[in-house]
Amino acid sequence: MVSRADAVTDTAIAAARSPRYTDEEMAAVGIRPLRTPEVEAFRAQPVDHVGPLPWPFPEDLGAFRYSVNVDPARVPRPTRAGEWGRHLVDLGGADYLTIMTEKRITHDADPHRTKIRRGMEPACWDLLLYYLRDLAITHPEVMHLDEGVDGNPDAFHWRNDLLGTDQRFVLGEWDSIPHGPLEFLSREVPDDMLLVTERDGRLYFDAGAVCFAAAWSVSFDVGMDMYEIHGPVPRMRREGIVARAEQFLRRLPADRVYRRLNWNLAASPTRKYDIALESLPSWGRDMALRQAAGDAIPNVQLRIELEHFVRLPTTGAVTFNIRTFMASLEELKAVPEWCAQLADIVEELPEDIAAYKGFLDFSGDVVAYLRAG
Amino acid sequence: MTLTDPIAGELAGHRFHLHPAYETGRRTVRVHEVRPLTDAITHFRFVPVDGQPLTAYQPGSHLIVTAGEHRNAYSLVDDGMNPRSYGISVLRRGEGGGSDWLHDRAAAGDLLEVEGPRSMFPPVLDQHGALLVAGGIGITPVLSHARALARAGRRADVVYSYRPGAAAHLDDLRELAERAGFGLHEATTVDDTVRVLRERFADQPLGTHAYACGPGPMLETYLEVAAGSGWPDARVHLERFTAPEQDPGSPFTAVVASSGERIDVPAGVSLLTRLLEHGLPVPNLCRQGVCGECRIPVRAADGVVVHRDLALSDEEKTAGDSMLCCVSRGVDRSEIEVQW
Repeated sequence: MVSRADAVTDTAIAAARSPRYTDEEMAAVGIRPLRTPEVEAFRAQPVDHVGPLPWPFPEDLGAFRYSVNVDPARVPRPTRAGEWGRHLVDLGGADYLTIMTEKRITHDADPHRTKIRRGMEPACWDLLLYYLRDLAITHPEVMHLDEGVDGNPDAFHWRNDLLGTDQRFVLGEWDSIPHGPLEFLSREVPDDMLLVTERDGRLYFDAGAVCFAAAWSVSFDVGMDMYEIHGPVPRMRREGIVARAEQFLRRLPADRVYRRLNWNLAASPTRKYDIALESLPSWGRDMALRQAAGDAIPNVQLRIELEHFVRLPTTGAVTFNIRTFMASLEELKAVPEWCAQLADIVEELPEDIAAYKGFLDFSGDVVAYLRAG
Repeated sequence: MTLTDPIAGELAGHRFHLHPAYETGRRTVRVHEVRPLTDAITHFRFVPVDGQPLTAYQPGSHLIVTAGEHRNAYSLVDDGMNPRSYGISVLRRGEGGGSDWLHDRAAAGDLLEVEGPRSMFPPVLDQHGALLVAGGIGITPVLSHARALARAGRRADVVYSYRPGAAAHLDDLRELAERAGFGLHEATTVDDTVRVLRERFADQPLGTHAYACGPGPMLETYLEVAAGSGWPDARVHLERFTAPEQDPGSPFTAVVASSGERIDVPAGVSLLTRLLEHGLPVPNLCRQGVCGECRIPVRAADGVVVHRDLALSDEEKTAGDSMLCCVSRGVDRSEIEVQW
């Protein structure tokens, strides 16, 4: 993971905690932002990790348990600190280039972050088209999609001025787009891309481009059904949550898009997005190192996953795309009510869930820090 | 399929999809072409009125077309990927219904209302090729599957059973059959069809899925031959035009959960009819247990719901938390709570 602590440009704590990449480092993964006024304005936004955070707990919640907590997508949700959920894709404001550089470095270093089982190729095209069309509508000042170019209805032209992408491709012709449609898309948006499909009455995770898995592995999980994937999660199967979640996704109508939030305290007290099992050696000792240095707890990251479920028209495959948001406990201090609520929830959490989520060992310190004045 | 939906009102008008190529609600299309294929079958091709892309669809999907006073579902015949037009081929039933209206009234340039596409007969994505079986007008969804497989460069074996002179799209199939990995087996008598099915089921590579659409008796034969050839159910798929005749059933009572209202359902009258009469706007379409549109969430004691539809899986029927109220009922003098 490349980061430059000396590239701090503004005084906000948030920026100081955020790794920045140089133009050369971005160019090495093909990111060359255009110099248009729209791009400059986008990049000049202040870094803010708290305002856009999709706070995962209802106001009055003091005890967390797993549930099928889905709600309709594309409905903006105001929070104490700002707003989230207006669009399908949250580019991440000024962090967009940072996230995309880390993502592309991960893809370049490890081709196994993209896994596609046989027969899922059309679903990958389905997914690409859905997202590019959506982005061109939600971010017209910096993203553009031309359809039916040169008289060929299946020919497309995609431009993303923020990353400097200028790519023509032909729908269905795998080699017409670098890395294939699934990984190409993964290299354009912050979200991890997952596709599930129904076989013999069950839903299987049959394709994915996943760089930011929170301590799991796409290579290991791909091809599993929902029950197998969630086998290690305490209480989920026993309480019928997996069965209800599977039913929900199997019945997801084509004319609706839903979303769901999940949360964790990340195993690494850094802003590393890539804490997948594949890269365990590069982050597995972070907590011990920071604890030895005495600044682990303020840097513990509340890691929130915003998942989107879209039924894709050509294949009926359903997306389980995951956008990862992070804010450190130190950053959360800006919102005292959130600190108080998170402290209550972490304190109350049953041991099996805290152990599964991986923070049982330091949850007491987290509660104390959040409650300290 | 539609379940009662507590958020429907709150989100009326909410745009879940921003791009027009994902629209599946009711909208207007223009008739671009009307082309007779046989004495009784006519092909209709629709294009968007505003030049926008049409919604893509899974092979085997259908489009709901408002034809005069009728709303009928017709299979789309193309591969479904990035379509520029929608094609349906309609058999004139001669009973004064929607198919007659389309034959007698629809002309190039006319505007029609459509809804969908909707998928009830999709291919399994990880299949190693397909055995496709069509009888008569059942060719329409089968042709869609065949075209999608051809586009993807996959393998397919097609069995087409028809009466000589009455076969729609035979030329299209013969052209597809010239591709590598494509076989076409035509049968023009019942005996021939049985023989060809036996041969074809006995000679498919491992991992093949079978799909059939056609008249009821042909589908029964298809299922028998598949089972006799040792095919597991999960690999044998079909789409029916019509459900078998239903007996009138027994009287039972429905209780509406929200209001507590008790509704008697006499023998010979469907639960759907009674719910509509009492002002519950239950969506519905085929009214014969095929399309799944009128599925409603219910609560009932074990064994009370008599599922008579062809849409729910065995697992879903066993779960007992929903039913197709057009054909399924309660056992004699039972009570079913409708979650509405």
